[in-house]
Amino acid sequence: MKKRMRVLASVFAVSMALTTLTACGGKGDSKSAEASDPNAKDTITALLPPVSGNFQDTFADIQKEFTEKYPNLTLKIEPASWEDMTQKLDTQVNAGSPPDIAFIGSDGISKYVDQGMALDIKDIATPEMINDYDKGPLEYMKKGDGLYGFPAYMEVHALGGNREFLEKAGIDWKKVQQQGWTFDEFREAIKKGVVSEGGKTSRYGFVFATAGVTSKDYLGILIKNAGMPSAFTQDLKYAYTSKNYLEVLKDIRALIDDGSMPKELSSIDAGKRWNMFLTGQTMITGKGMATFEKSANTNNEKIKANDGSAVKGSIPVTYTVLPVPSFLGEKAVSSVAVDGYVAFRGKKEPSEAHKQNVVKALYFLASGKVAATTNNDLFVAQITESGRKAAESMPVERDADNKAAVETMLKNAAPARPDIPAELEAKAIKLEDEVIVPKLQALIAGEIKPEEMYDAVKSAAVSAFGEDGVVKD
Amino acid sequence: MAQLAKPAKRRRIRGDGAWAYAFIAVALVVFAMFTAYPVVSAFIISFQKYKPIGSEYVGFDNYIATFKDSLFWKSVVNTVVYTILTVPVSLIISFAIAILILPLKKKLQTTFKAVYYLPAVASGVALSVVWLWIFDPMPEGIFNKLISLFGISNQNWLGSSATSMFSLVLMAWLSSHGTSIIIYLAALLGIDSSYYEAADLDGANFFQKLWYIVIPSLKPTTLFLLVTGVIGSFQVFQNAYLMTGGGPDNSTTMVGLLIFNNAFKYFEFGKAAAQSLVLAAIIALISLVQFKFMGKDVEY
Repeated sequence: MKKRMRVLASVFAVSMALTTLTACGGKGDSKSAEASDPNAKDTITALLPPVSGNFQDTFADIQKEFTEKYPNLTLKIEPASWEDMTQKLDTQVNAGSPPDIAFIGSDGISKYVDQGMALDIKDIATPEMINDYDKGPLEYMKKGDGLYGFPAYMEVHALGGNREFLEKAGIDWKKVQQQGWTFDEFREAIKKGVVSEGGKTSRYGFVFATAGVTSKDYLGILIKNAGMPSAFTQDLKYAYTSKNYLEVLKDIRALIDDGSMPKELSSIDAGKRWNMFLTGQTMITGKGMATFEKSANTNNEKIKANDGSAVKGSIPVTYTVLPVPSFLGEKAVSSVAVDGYVAFRGKKEPSEAHKQNVVKALYFLASGKVAATTNNDLFVAQITESGRKAAESMPVERDADNKAAVETMLKNAAPARPDIPAELEAKAIKLEDEVIVPKLQALIAGEIKPEEMYDAVKSAAVSAFGEDGVVKD
Repeated sequence: MAQLAKPAKRRRIRGDGAWAYAFIAVALVVFAMFTAYPVVSAFIISFQKYKPIGSEYVGFDNYIATFKDSLFWKSVVNTVVYTILTVPVSLIISFAIAILILPLKKKLQTTFKAVYYLPAVASGVALSVVWLWIFDPMPEGIFNKLISLFGISNQNWLGSSATSMFSLVLMAWLSSHGTSIIIYLAALLGIDSSYYEAADLDGANFFQKLWYIVIPSLKPTTLFLLVTGVIGSFQVFQNAYLMTGGGPDNSTTMVGLLIFNNAFKYFEFGKAAAQSLVLAAIIALISLVQFKFMGKDVEY
């Protein structure tokens, strides 16, 4: 008995050790290095977040339809939450075995290009595929000469207003939608939206999520309308040392000092400000995404139906898309988010056949019916001809004024800058994270003056890019 | 002589000792793969500009960049401040709770142990969400409602440099004492009751027993909890990452968060590895000092 126990225990110990060793064994690039025969069986892996509310529920159908179209190919989708997406992808990339396709923001492409792990599909994508896309969003998927994926949508970062409150405050929202507004007009308008009683404010004119890294969005959206559509000028000089930058910082502070925005703004996150918008604690919120209209409409229906899952204390809201104001007489430039499907490679160079198969899967996901369904779900515009055609039979209940306002803003979208070298971009991102965001948080919290933040950014920019690498005006 | 040695060796292999070595080998393999190998890898990477496809040797550049980086030193200071404010107070709280639980009946004792240990089982993310709600900056936030009872105006807990570090410290003070309480309770139960009987005969009161019997007897436990607490506190990451993201103005950027950002945000694995090794050296030094000055009369 004792001997048997020893044998059993040793078998258990050995199997434990083997399990550990097996777990460490990478699958490598076996999936991608098969034959160069384009008709050989192949599997394409994709790491996809819940791009829209229903997106992940449709994975089985997407996989089935893909195999119906390409019988030798299998699309293996690994779902991921938005929270896990970056970490999962980064871990796989740095281990040298990323998925073939991942859904990410176009602003994340450069770091994977710099790592040598993004797959350039410029010579693999067919002209039919390329021509299906609107030029503007497609440019966002480029870095240098390379094309690293296909865009899914181009979403404009706008502001969102409560139509009833806007009208009560005497704001001609239709005119603003069509013609835009200057910062001074905006500042006066949001002052009118404030409701106070006995020193307590029950409604603010404007609330933007600025807690943590969201403050980056706030500043990023504003400065595009102050003559700085990108962190770098056309001659690749760092732009945020411009005097206009300081003026925008002063204006950010002014809105809080006016009492139009809460003094606790630096702690207000995206969830909190949306709650404040739905509960009538603010007239205008930001950033405003197209899907917010749908979200507000859904909540309105819940209120109407006395559904307990409606946001607590919420009121019926007619969500109204508004443009971001322009500063210092500069042209209004809309901040956009272009997200899409990016192609990756492993440590080993994938075979030509596999690369072609990956591009087929990329295009399948980022065009036609799949893209049309997802974009309709998100209330965003179609950016492919095939998507527009597929969307014809899909009705979308969207406010016509909002739709037109978004289309106007998209015409003024900030252009992509694939010419910015990855190294410069990486430096700018680090400067943004280590200097701009922390200082902006302090500025919003009222701990430093706009001039102090401007000086800190200027000094860090000169250290990073040199005296000649920054704008001097 | 050689002939005599041979059968002895064979006996050792056949004996229970051989089985012990076999089982230790499993733990050793796991340790080698998941602890020793990553540490050695980190050491190598700290001299490289890491890329999945072909890393580049850069000598001491990552260490030089680390020592020149003002944000690194700021994060070290933040971490030291956080450690000084949290570890001793947490130990006192754990000790006090353990003393309060000790006289209770076993069932009640177990219930309290379970209740205090619960946060250790709960997800850190879920706990952070609750704390974010507690620290709501608007007047309807729980802490703001509480302080308004004393006539204090509402605070921007996590959004102001004046209160952000204190908010994280407060969070540490009010949670995660379960493990320390259980270790203290086990140590308290290990104190020989004859000491208390002798103290009773001498007419010692509660505080005298605490001072002359309990605290000296628990010195090894306290030293253990202090050393592990300081190590854990120096590696703190989650609270800063989830609650403040290191802000505002880097007032809550801890070394752990900085290392994470360098590695996973900027893909500067070489610099992150160098910073990790510098952090490990700082922790080792502090632990050494703790053992030298506090472990003098500790018997294990």
